[in-house]
Amino acid sequence: MRSRSSIEIHRCRPLLGTFVEIAASGTNPAGLERGIAAAFASVEKVHCLMSYHDPRSDVSRLNREAFPKSVIVHPWTWRVLEAAQQFAQESDGVFDITMARLLASRGYLPRREYRPHNAATWRDIFLRKNCRIFFRRPVIVDLGGIAKGFAVDRAIEVLKDNGVVAGMVNAGGDLRTFGQASQLIHVRHPAEPTRFAGAVRLRERAMATSGIYFERRKHRRNYVGPLLDGRTGRFGRKLISVSVAAAECIVADALTKIVFSLREKAAGLLVRYHADALLLERDGTPSWMFRSSCDTRARTPFD
Amino acid sequence: MKSEFVFIALPASALIAPSAFAVQYLNVEQAQKAIFPGKSFTAAPVKLTSVQRKAIEQASAVRVLHDEQRVWRVGGGGWFIVDEVVGKHDFITYAVGLNTDGSVKQIEIMDYRETYGGQIRDQKWRAQFVGKTSKSTLKLDSDIKNISGATLSCRHITDGVKRLLAFYEIALKH
Repeated sequence: MRSRSSIEIHRCRPLLGTFVEIAASGTNPAGLERGIAAAFASVEKVHCLMSYHDPRSDVSRLNREAFPKSVIVHPWTWRVLEAAQQFAQESDGVFDITMARLLASRGYLPRREYRPHNAATWRDIFLRKNCRIFFRRPVIVDLGGIAKGFAVDRAIEVLKDNGVVAGMVNAGGDLRTFGQASQLIHVRHPAEPTRFAGAVRLRERAMATSGIYFERRKHRRNYVGPLLDGRTGRFGRKLISVSVAAAECIVADALTKIVFSLREKAAGLLVRYHADALLLERDGTPSWMFRSSCDTRARTPFD
Repeated sequence: MKSEFVFIALPASALIAPSAFAVQYLNVEQAQKAIFPGKSFTAAPVKLTSVQRKAIEQASAVRVLHDEQRVWRVGGGGWFIVDEVVGKHDFITYAVGLNTDGSVKQIEIMDYRETYGGQIRDQKWRAQFVGKTSKSTLKLDSDIKNISGATLSCRHITDGVKRLLAFYEIALKH
């Protein structure tokens, strides 16, 4: 017998405002360690580029300077902005990264010195050639609803490039798996988030879940969470959770926010991205389950 | 290749039982290797005086819960510190590697435990984890490895690191 037994390495670091967990399996421990270190480095890079809080990030530079002049961003930031704009268009503005102004006004994001226009939307953002971004009027953007998914996809790419044969990257609940074996993914209970409502099996696929459980706060006698509908500016109130599975984590991440607001009306968009959705009610039971084809050559926002 | 997207509901009993989720990623030795590969370590624990404690709290705006800090001096320069933070739902042990100039080299989570319903504030509840090996810790929920759903924010770690940087300035840097 010459085959060596497979080992699995698990690491976790605080990044992207949450806990990022990377698992890799293979037969060469040193190679796995290298792959995991490189994967964390790519997540860290996304963190540095797209953090709302770090004044040196691309996102902070955009919020300070993209109106009235324009700003050149890193190609990764550009790709995330491009994807965000596409989801905004396809969801008719339900997904809208400029709703950061409302998140800031409710204390979910620091206000800073920004003075966004109070009717600003995603339509005020313009993507020009050579990674140049321009805002038509004062806008603040937050990539919190999509950058984690992008970071997971980059980390998976890096693991594969480093010869890792199977693994998983989980950025605060937005995750993606690769390798032969399927993995059991537990889904949090919408009302009691440290309990689990159930599980889903995934193989070579990403899944993201959105709910307001950990972050809801009281506002005028009601609890509201940081998920909001860009068309109405209304915050999410219901203790439901939405999970979306797709080939890429950036797609799963963005689509959960859209399904959270549109529910069944998001079916067309789910089909377009070959995505599946699961909606859990407050008591933990699934009230809507949508399956589209699981063709792995699904369309991506970068096609 | 087709894979079916199926939701497997947990039995009601699993929902009623108080839940705790715990993972051990690294023990002290493994964390040392992960942050400072190939280096040697000399234990140099620090016991804070009340003056130092107050100075750290003032500099970092974070409360100091323990007077004792587990510190190692790294061969060739730098520091390795093991610390823990307690939140409303989480109790986390983590390691921070500091470069010779006191800047953060790397942060690794060693143990992550979360629960709902107040146990985390209970010393006894927390004590059951101390010194556990990865196997016995994982017994809590051995089949739960991957979770989808917004996790807790890492704000407590961010505050903890802020406190450790003040600790470095006040108690380590000479």
